[in-house]
Amino acid sequence: MTPDSIRRERRAARLALLRMVFVVLALGALVPWLANAYWIKTLTSSLALAIAAAGVALLYGQLGLVSLCQYSLLGVGGWVALRVGHGLHWPFEACVVAGGLSAGVVGMLAGLPALRMKGLYLALVTLMLAGGFQVVISATGFPDGGAGFLGRISGSERLMLPRPALAQGEGAYFAYVAAWLAAMLALLELHRRTRAGRSWALIRRGEAVAEGAGVNVLLYQTWAFGLAGVCAGVAGALLSGAVGQLDGRAFAASESVMLFALSLIGGAYYWAGALVAGLLLRAVPSLLVDLGVNGYLAMVFFGAALLHALITAPRGLAGQWLAAFQRRAAKGRA
Amino acid sequence: MIEIRGLTVAFGAVVAIDALDAVLHAPVCGLIGPNGAGKTTLVNLLSGFVQAKAGEVRVDETALLGMNTARRARFGLRRSFQTEQVVEDLSVWDNVQSMLDHVPNRHRPADAQVHRALEHAGLLDCAAVPGAELDLFRRRMVEVAKALVGEPRLILFDEPGAGLDERESRVLRDAIAAIPDAFGAQVLLIDHDVDLIAAICTQTLVLDFGRRLALGDTRAVLDDPVVRRAYLGA
Repeated sequence: MTPDSIRRERRAARLALLRMVFVVLALGALVPWLANAYWIKTLTSSLALAIAAAGVALLYGQLGLVSLCQYSLLGVGGWVALRVGHGLHWPFEACVVAGGLSAGVVGMLAGLPALRMKGLYLALVTLMLAGGFQVVISATGFPDGGAGFLGRISGSERLMLPRPALAQGEGAYFAYVAAWLAAMLALLELHRRTRAGRSWALIRRGEAVAEGAGVNVLLYQTWAFGLAGVCAGVAGALLSGAVGQLDGRAFAASESVMLFALSLIGGAYYWAGALVAGLLLRAVPSLLVDLGVNGYLAMVFFGAALLHALITAPRGLAGQWLAAFQRRAAKGRA
Repeated sequence: MIEIRGLTVAFGAVVAIDALDAVLHAPVCGLIGPNGAGKTTLVNLLSGFVQAKAGEVRVDETALLGMNTARRARFGLRRSFQTEQVVEDLSVWDNVQSMLDHVPNRHRPADAQVHRALEHAGLLDCAAVPGAELDLFRRRMVEVAKALVGEPRLILFDEPGAGLDERESRVLRDAIAAIPDAFGAQVLLIDHDVDLIAAICTQTLVLDFGRRLALGDTRAVLDDPVVRRAYLGA
């Protein structure tokens, strides 16, 4: 009953999903053999941030929504992971899940204005939320093994969040984060290709169109914000595991703007775009430092890259590369 | 069957539909009138995008006005828009499937329903083609196919043939005319193409300034001197 063309399309989609998981896992397996400890650490952060970028891309690519508080949600995930890790001594995976779910709930709450606002107004409201988080986290700090709700230690050495037993070393932890990235990207792709993705596509076309098709717009928009929040929370928890602790100063509101801009540059419509965004966010500044150039020059580079993306690659670097690859493949076939 | 009793819709001081009474029972009904007559307002009201100030609307003896838009879709109400609303990055199949995701699907497997709708609309050969690659005719036919899945009861087509050439209009006309027998749904068709209305609608309602100008057998309505003067300019 299903036409052959649709069966082929579905098979191709399944293969693409498997290819994506394989590529990310292969990265996780290969990089520790090729890079030194400094670069492994840097790229671990890049992979974790790629998960958060995938959440930003979900909101923008699927619904056209600009959320500028995703880096704060990363902080929420990191805070919860550190708190339950130190306070309740949960296994690391449970800390990551707790961080992801908590940030998902906060993300849903942050997304509530989206039900009434769009575009610039939503961006401003979410940026203000990010500013609020910056103030709160500056005052409270991240849990570091102390008692009480805030879990802050005083007068003694801060405790590190223990990593999972199977990923104690830097290389093993890199592969562990790559596995989380593969799982999260697969989760998002499955959403995109099924009922949720089709519903988001209808909402993107127009809320009246979606409502006319029976879509519960409130539910699906909130679900997208929650899912993007889970991505950010998982990223935050994995970052807390990478370093063992988190610093409140790293969660300024401006980081959310940077995360959004780099997600656009990377490509909000492709999984590889999230990977590019993660690399731009962490690996490029480190590369500049490695080359003896001031890392802050990365801002100039990012500005130029954003202009490039806006002018020549509206679907991001990943979109541009994919199009070039497809053109080349088509030429090869001809 | 659509029963409309004392229906009034107002936007501030402007009365778009004024105490309208009508019973539309034909399998394919036409809705015509000059620009600003209230046709699209009536379709928007039936599909839940506009609130009534007064009156009652029943479809197959079910009161419609208390339901929100999504519930009306689940009840079996479908509509197309004047501007086609195909999602560019979904395939034709997924465009139709996206409609079926949120409406009842009790009697046939989802794939079978989508297949049947695409077959009716003549789109099976381009099922995997993304919306962005479709020409206007195929986009219009996707809108028809979307209306056919998930046990439709009443389908509202708002100028479905706008921009189509004569041959394409003929294909569209045949597809719409066959809907009641093939899918069991009543069709309410708005169009400025009087030939299209005359060819497939057995009953037609004519609106003018939000009021009923005429209602009845399509041929008789189109021959009515009052209608010809107000709408056809004769």
